[in-house]
Amino acid sequence: MEDIANDFTINIATANGTGSQSANLILLQSLFDMGIPVSGKNLFPSNISGLPTWYIVRLSDKGYQAPGDRTHIQVLVNPATWDEDIEALEPGSVVIWNENAKMEMTREDVVSYPIPMSALARKINPKIAKLVTNIVYVGALAEILGIDQNALEQAVAKQFKGKDTAIELNITALSLGRDYFRDNLAKIDPYVAESRKKDKSQFFVEGNEAIALGSHFGGVQMLAWYPITPSSSIAEGIIAWSAELRSDSEGNFTCSIIQAEDELAAAGMVLGAGWAGGRGMTATSGPGISLMQEFIGLGYFAEIPSVFWDVNRVGPSTGLPTRTQQSDIAMLYEGSHGDTQHIVIIPGTVEECFEFGWRVFDYAERFQTPVFGMSDLDLGMNRWACDGFEYPTEKMDRGKVVRDLKTFEAFDDFGRYLDVDGDGIPYRTLPGSGMAPILYRGTGHNTKGVYSEKPADYLALMTRLKEKIERSRDYLPAPILREEKECQIGIIYFGSMENTIQEIDDMLEDTGLKVSQCRIRALPAHSEIERFVERHEHTIILEINRDGQLYGILRKELPNNLVSRVHSVAYSDGMPPRARIYTDKILAKLKEVHI
Amino acid sequence: MSEKPERPAKAVKLNVINEPKDSYTGGKSSLCPGCGHDQISNVIISAAWESGIQPHRIAKMSGIGCSSKTPAYYLGKSHGFNTVHGRMPSVTTGAYAVNKDLLYIGVSGDGDSASIGIGQLIHAIRRNIDMVYIIENNGVYGLTKGQYSATADIGSKKKKGAPNKTQPIDLCALAINLGCTFVARSFSGSKKQLNSLLKAAMSHKGFALIDVISPCVTFNNNDESMKSYSYVKENEITLHMTDYIPHFNPITEVEVPEGHYRDITLHDGSTIRLETISDEHDPSDAVAALTALHNAESNAKHVTGLLYFDNTKDSLAEDLGIVDTPLIDVSDDVLRPNKKALDEINSAFFG
Repeated sequence: MEDIANDFTINIATANGTGSQSANLILLQSLFDMGIPVSGKNLFPSNISGLPTWYIVRLSDKGYQAPGDRTHIQVLVNPATWDEDIEALEPGSVVIWNENAKMEMTREDVVSYPIPMSALARKINPKIAKLVTNIVYVGALAEILGIDQNALEQAVAKQFKGKDTAIELNITALSLGRDYFRDNLAKIDPYVAESRKKDKSQFFVEGNEAIALGSHFGGVQMLAWYPITPSSSIAEGIIAWSAELRSDSEGNFTCSIIQAEDELAAAGMVLGAGWAGGRGMTATSGPGISLMQEFIGLGYFAEIPSVFWDVNRVGPSTGLPTRTQQSDIAMLYEGSHGDTQHIVIIPGTVEECFEFGWRVFDYAERFQTPVFGMSDLDLGMNRWACDGFEYPTEKMDRGKVVRDLKTFEAFDDFGRYLDVDGDGIPYRTLPGSGMAPILYRGTGHNTKGVYSEKPADYLALMTRLKEKIERSRDYLPAPILREEKECQIGIIYFGSMENTIQEIDDMLEDTGLKVSQCRIRALPAHSEIERFVERHEHTIILEINRDGQLYGILRKELPNNLVSRVHSVAYSDGMPPRARIYTDKILAKLKEVHI
Repeated sequence: MSEKPERPAKAVKLNVINEPKDSYTGGKSSLCPGCGHDQISNVIISAAWESGIQPHRIAKMSGIGCSSKTPAYYLGKSHGFNTVHGRMPSVTTGAYAVNKDLLYIGVSGDGDSASIGIGQLIHAIRRNIDMVYIIENNGVYGLTKGQYSATADIGSKKKKGAPNKTQPIDLCALAINLGCTFVARSFSGSKKQLNSLLKAAMSHKGFALIDVISPCVTFNNNDESMKSYSYVKENEITLHMTDYIPHFNPITEVEVPEGHYRDITLHDGSTIRLETISDEHDPSDAVAALTALHNAESNAKHVTGLLYFDNTKDSLAEDLGIVDTPLIDVSDDVLRPNKKALDEINSAFFG
């Protein structure tokens, strides 16, 4: 039997709240430290304790980060999903199962490794046997796959930093699993974890933590938030880092952090901070953005710099709160009643989560408008390899704020909404300055900010607002292009699909189809996007939702002659994207348009 | 035709910071003639002028409704924000979080504060944000032409339709129960009392709520309404006569007989003097304040004056633990951590 090294997927079925997350992270970290390109996906329920959880670890020398299309190794701990997990396996799969779970192994066409996980765990400490059970399967996996003991122990030390008793206990439990397999079972499967020499140093980090750090390096002055999965860890990250990054020698902070009573209030606080001249932000998910709509319109119409991060989860309504999707993009782009259009910044990597974390404030203050950062649960709450964070390359852009009397007096005529420079962006003075005070309002207003219902005033204002956002197109992050020469098919995608696109690309290439890639990183779409569509006979807009929301946006904005060249491939079942599904759908779509 | 002789120039009266009262006025009101809200606007102008506050250091905040339109009619030299319905407290909280040194004066109505925005009012009180929160309370939705609000008393009758049968919300009682640090009730026609209360509220550090009964001349001024002029004039119990003594004036200016007043020192050193005309009400006693409200309600009267006061609580700025400089004045170099800080984070992650 030939070894299959670093090209398989492990699925670990446990119950929520049993401590399996730490065990799984130890497994992931140890593989990562061996230099193996590895990704981990936590499929957790909207529940604190007891419901089924799956953790998917994929080892891939090709660097594929999607969960993969099948499970090669199944770890069974949770009786609740036992039968369906077994049933889903392809013949020849490996099953590592808890012999003490009072469940049966019903398949004969799989490689079966029964391990008395609970009994081994009880040996260490009966009181915490449930917790230790998880580490036992990691030990067994380590023996089966050949995971380096040093890497494993280092990962334990990292996970339980400073807690010596916990470290010792976990290392003992690992050995119990390892020893049991070695002494009682024989390896008859082909899967092995082989160390690789890393060509660059990387670390694991979640997208949300990267956004939190980025926000601090953007000098956030006010965070208002309301807890919601999967965005809470952005706010919690900002809180956790504020002592180190944002306090003076006496421990006083340069950033106000307020847990609001709801998302409406959080949005109001963000607008208040922006109105007063500060950098305010909130982090939420789709349901929160739904609640914030009224304020978003006010921010657009009264031109208040404000930052909203949306970590997209599955909608509509409460939906699947712990699953991932890209279904908020249309709402973000055209949020609130009336004619509106908003800047949306979309990171696809953890490095970009950090970078856009600080840049969004510059965009908000430059364009004096609500700016959305759009991430999703997959990027935000899973750990991704990171090359390190790069220090901001530009100074903070505070936008057109008149701060001193001399500058103010140089204006012939000052109006809060007067387009002095012809770029659609007016100048503003701050409350407390005494310069050109106005009563900001969400009602119609003229260039001086005074209430007006005059048709000419309304029309001029709406036209300027449109132009202002229009002009942001090529100022915002340009798309990332990976183009093949003389290639007829292009794929436009965004956000966390970045982690699956290469595998899709390779699968398409296996069928003889070469494609170019274009990752959109901001809306309104950069002018490069139009040129990309122009260069290709057909372009697929690939997204993780049902309706093809980005496709809808681009169709509306592309010139007529290009509209027939774009085609939608949109799919979402709540799971992180699996390459096979999207590849097949792309092929089917191309067939439909006669390629 | 003979020319009119020029009038001798009248000396313009200036306040303690040499500003004329004109520096505190605003645009022309577009409310119905005789509206109680306009009287309140005038008191805001007088109180701010008499207190010698720099007009540009005031921020006037409001929600949506007749009351919330009024910031256009006073303090024309102050920035303001006419926000969305009922959500002025959150906008003010955000502004305050980055610039705690402005004097925030919020004006709201009973639709704003007792219905759509009651949650935000409650949480602003809970956070004890430094602001004056004026409710211009008339028991009706004026701007949408006279629907009952949540403060309309049972039995109140609007111009057309059936009397109100739904239990009203007493915002002062609510505020006292929430631990609001300054709770007062007044009447738009009681200029002197309102002026004193307002000046005291401006000096107060923490959330100062003043519920001002302000009859709607158009939709709620028939005699059956408990918030009409005639009703309130006849059924108002004044809990205290209040006199406000700014810290730049000697306290001896006000002559009150011994034993009939109580001085309360505010955070900025100024004093509010309460002249008790009924029983001796102790404004630090929440139960007494609630009893007074309850008794007034039982007798279908309104009790006015400073109901409750507490100067021992930290305000939001202290709770946030922020630096003393308003955050908007902290320089960009300080706001953005330096490169060394990021290098350290990166190396800690690399492990």
